[in-house]
Amino acid sequence: MSTQSKHALSVDRTLLAFLFLAAVLTLGPFLWIALASFKTQIALLMGTTKFTPVTMNYDEVLFGNTSLFARNFLNSIIVASISTLAAMTIGFLAGYSLLRLRWPAWVVNLFLLWAVVFNLVPPVTLAGAWYELFRGVGLNNDTVALILAHTTLHLPMSLWLLSSFLREIPKELEEAAFIDGAGFVKTLWRVVIPIMMPGLVSTGILVFIFSWNEFPVALALTNNTSATVPVGIAKFAQENEIKYTQMAAASVLSAIPALLALLFGQRFIVKGLTAGAVK
Amino acid sequence: MAKLTVENLTKSFGAVKILHGLNADIADGEFIAVLGESGCGKSTFLRIIAGLEDATSGAITIDGKNVTEQGPRDRDIAMVFQSYALYPHMTVKQNIDFPLELMGLDKAERERRIADTAELLNLTPYLDRKPRDLSGGQRQRVAMGRAIVREPKVFLFDEPLSNLDAKLRVQMRSEIRNLQQRLHVTAIYVTHDQVEALTMADRVMLMNGGRIEQFAPPLELYDRPASVFVASFVGTPPMNLVDGQMKAGTGIAALDTVFPYDAPTSQDVTLGFRPEHVRIATAQDAHFSGKLLSTENTGDRLNLVLLVAGQEVRVSLNERHDLTPGDIVACRVLDDHIHLFDRSTGARIN
Repeated sequence: MSTQSKHALSVDRTLLAFLFLAAVLTLGPFLWIALASFKTQIALLMGTTKFTPVTMNYDEVLFGNTSLFARNFLNSIIVASISTLAAMTIGFLAGYSLLRLRWPAWVVNLFLLWAVVFNLVPPVTLAGAWYELFRGVGLNNDTVALILAHTTLHLPMSLWLLSSFLREIPKELEEAAFIDGAGFVKTLWRVVIPIMMPGLVSTGILVFIFSWNEFPVALALTNNTSATVPVGIAKFAQENEIKYTQMAAASVLSAIPALLALLFGQRFIVKGLTAGAVK
Repeated sequence: MAKLTVENLTKSFGAVKILHGLNADIADGEFIAVLGESGCGKSTFLRIIAGLEDATSGAITIDGKNVTEQGPRDRDIAMVFQSYALYPHMTVKQNIDFPLELMGLDKAERERRIADTAELLNLTPYLDRKPRDLSGGQRQRVAMGRAIVREPKVFLFDEPLSNLDAKLRVQMRSEIRNLQQRLHVTAIYVTHDQVEALTMADRVMLMNGGRIEQFAPPLELYDRPASVFVASFVGTPPMNLVDGQMKAGTGIAALDTVFPYDAPTSQDVTLGFRPEHVRIATAQDAHFSGKLLSTENTGDRLNLVLLVAGQEVRVSLNERHDLTPGDIVACRVLDDHIHLFDRSTGARIN
């Protein structure tokens, strides 16, 4: 074996080791939670490694008399879907305006910079103000309030990501569509959006997951009936006991929509879709 | 098929003036090349005609109808972009169909037109492919197809061949020209390549700094350049341009000699003559002689650079000579091939 291929082999092995590390770090906690969800509370607290799997935690979470998980789940679906749609629509059109309407460069840069800086503000600092605001207009403990808050919270990320995807689309494609006889809406619908589909889908999934997992603002703006999944899960930690295993079961269930979204979205996230458009 | 008129067209971006009052009358079915260096305003001119940019002032009329304020889709023009701008998510067929669909034609008519266009451009085998699966030349043809399938009033081309390799470029040059003649559509073709402009166009609009230097048939640009700029731009190798004094009754004094010319007045001029209009002469016949600096043999031509009265003069001969650098070469400029320009304005005076 030549020195060169030996060298290449050791590089391969090192890279493989990092991949393995990444897999362990990301999958490990999830596996621990998944296993915990099939244990009894006693088995978990004893730290037993060998155990007989039980489904009682799931039964309790889904069908228990005191459990509001199904309600939380529905709330989360509503809040995440609508706020994602809103943040995407506003982000897309604002990004389009930023990049295509010949704003001075400083306006564009300031907007995009702010979109990043906004994420440095801990959402919990906004929660108090929002609570007061929504109570003032009679939207306290209402999912509408949370939808509006999540839209605001995730709009900067949506704007920033969609702008960078929009930037990749050659302007000539839109000009070609105008010349071919398309109006503004048709150009967006038939040319820009299909080309941006991978970017739209990945941004959509990301915003959806962020909204799905958002905790502090949801905690501040909702009550028992309007709570979302993360708030619901937190309520398994009660004054007298923490229901670790039920919490784990609820966590596993709450991961399902994100996994489905990713499986569905993967079809669209094809690289190099603009290959062949220009040049 | 349409007549296109441009009247006093100007364009400014902020304080920067890009186009300074362009005027042009383009006849029905005429093929116009807009030639110039990058930044001369030729692409802006084309984009204003397309409706992709607004004119600052002036008017554009197509078949007598003022379209200056209209958007691209109301002008009935088609454009082939330098980058082709094919829709990457659509097949070749869908790309060509897109403008037809927007025109609201019925399915049968669209199918017929697509088939005809594909046939004409040899694209039939590729109709179901995506642009990314095509070669550069094929993409170029799809872009052409998308333009001609609509049967527009005017074709606009924005340097459509600059992304192709040299051989394909020569082939597409004649294909585009043949196609345009067959379809008899008015065409405006922007290029920085003078060979493209001179070989393809009925008339060439040569632009410089946002102004039209000359708008004339290709041979006229070569034979009678309207200004020093045109003289220096058109022709390879470029025209020799030297300072001279026109003296009434005697001729033109330049390069330490006097070129015979029936001069009506006396003034400072720029004297021009093309390298290919110079012959090697005997000492008695010669206008000037100079020291040979370098030679370049292309097989069909022998190009010389001479040092004459402290200035470099290019000579291009179609016969072979056994010359080496350092030789003294005596030359004569062919009669009636002297170009005279006003030295201060650069305008042609003979």
